Amino acid sequence: MELSSFTSVILALSALQGPGTRLTYRVRVIEPASVAPRVLASGAVSGPLDSDMRLTLRTDTAEVEAFFQVAPTVGDTVSLTGEFYMRRLVGRSRRGLPLWEEDSYRRLVRLAWSDTARIYPFGTGKRGGGGGGGGGARRALWVELILEREFAGGEARAEEAFDLVDSTRDFRLEAVVRPRRARVILNLVRGDTVSAPRPIDLIPEEPPRVVRLVLKARATTLVVSLTRPDPARSARDRALALDADIICLRVARPDAPQPLGTICGRLNNVARQLPLPTGDTLAATFAWPGWR
Amino acid sequence: MTGADTSHEQWLVQIDAELDGELSLVERAALAKHLVTCAHCAGARASHLEVRVALARSAGNPHAFVVPRPAIRAGTLALWVALALATGLLAGWVADRRWGGPGGGATLEESRGAIVVH
Repeated sequence: MELSSFTSVILALSALQGPGTRLTYRVRVIEPASVAPRVLASGAVSGPLDSDMRLTLRTDTAEVEAFFQVAPTVGDTVSLTGEFYMRRLVGRSRRGLPLWEEDSYRRLVRLAWSDTARIYPFGTGKRGGGGGGGGGARRALWVELILEREFAGGEARAEEAFDLVDSTRDFRLEAVVRPRRARVILNLVRGDTVSAPRPIDLIPEEPPRVVRLVLKARATTLVVSLTRPDPARSARDRALALDADIICLRVARPDAPQPLGTICGRLNNVARQLPLPTGDTLAATFAWPGWR
Repeated sequence: MTGADTSHEQWLVQIDAELDGELSLVERAALAKHLVTCAHCAGARASHLEVRVALARSAGNPHAFVVPRPAIRAGTLALWVALALATGLLAGWVADRRWGGPGGGATLEESRGAIVVH
């Protein structure tokens, strides 16, 4: 029996976006050599299906930062989008200071799962090294990327593994996951007195929640909600999703629609403070939620 | 060098000066008297005169009284200077378009990253 194309799309998307699907970016950085290509670094980034990968390569004369995203398509193929942000050393000014050229662009390819995509971050180097700045041999290196998916028991956190064979090179591999939930630990602080921690799991853009904190037998009721930050101002930050793990906690009083303030930060267990009109200080610590 | 040779060279200088109109009447008379007695100097004078006639012809004025000196006209000089400046500017512009400025070499697209599926 032949399925209609619409049914095929629905089936493919439902299969790929299931909660148990885990995506892995398997990466090898390879440099051409006279005898055989040399592996400079290898690693993998894995996580939920909406995990992205940030790859950074730096040489003396060029820096490439690339942000890769995967979007499942119809059938057994996947769309790989790469946002590239590049800086090249193009010379020196009359005062001897380095002159850098900045460039950003996007690449999009469609490939089958477990296919190998070869990424030439400094260009293919067909004409003497692909670009100014010298370092022709180094420019011709490429990154092998294999996309894999597997079915996992539940939704797990992102993981990174990176093995740098040649320590003289500056390569970096990062998993980028936008938090679907965040664990927020709230404390009220006054002088040297701190209230009992009040942990709550919040979902961005969900309706506000009422929280009651008690300090020195005095209760303070607050309405808190989690939001995403405003888009980054710089094009580089937007392209590389450098603010992916930043969330904002909006704090208000129950009887007033105007917020008392907003605390923004990364999910990195660092406490951030917001002074309240009552004289207390609200300390909020953002962290990744616990395992499920 | 003998005294006669020195004297002869001096007469040749006098011949040149006479043809340029730089001798006084007394010096011209002395030279005329010497030319009567010296066939070599008379021949040298005739030779100098022929050279001057040839120079006058090449300058386009065979009937000139003296050899016309080359003259550089202000307009011609200005034209050549302008032409040299224009040529230099054009060559500089072409060289700058071809090789100039930082970041030369490969085209922008060649210097950008690429993804190839295998």
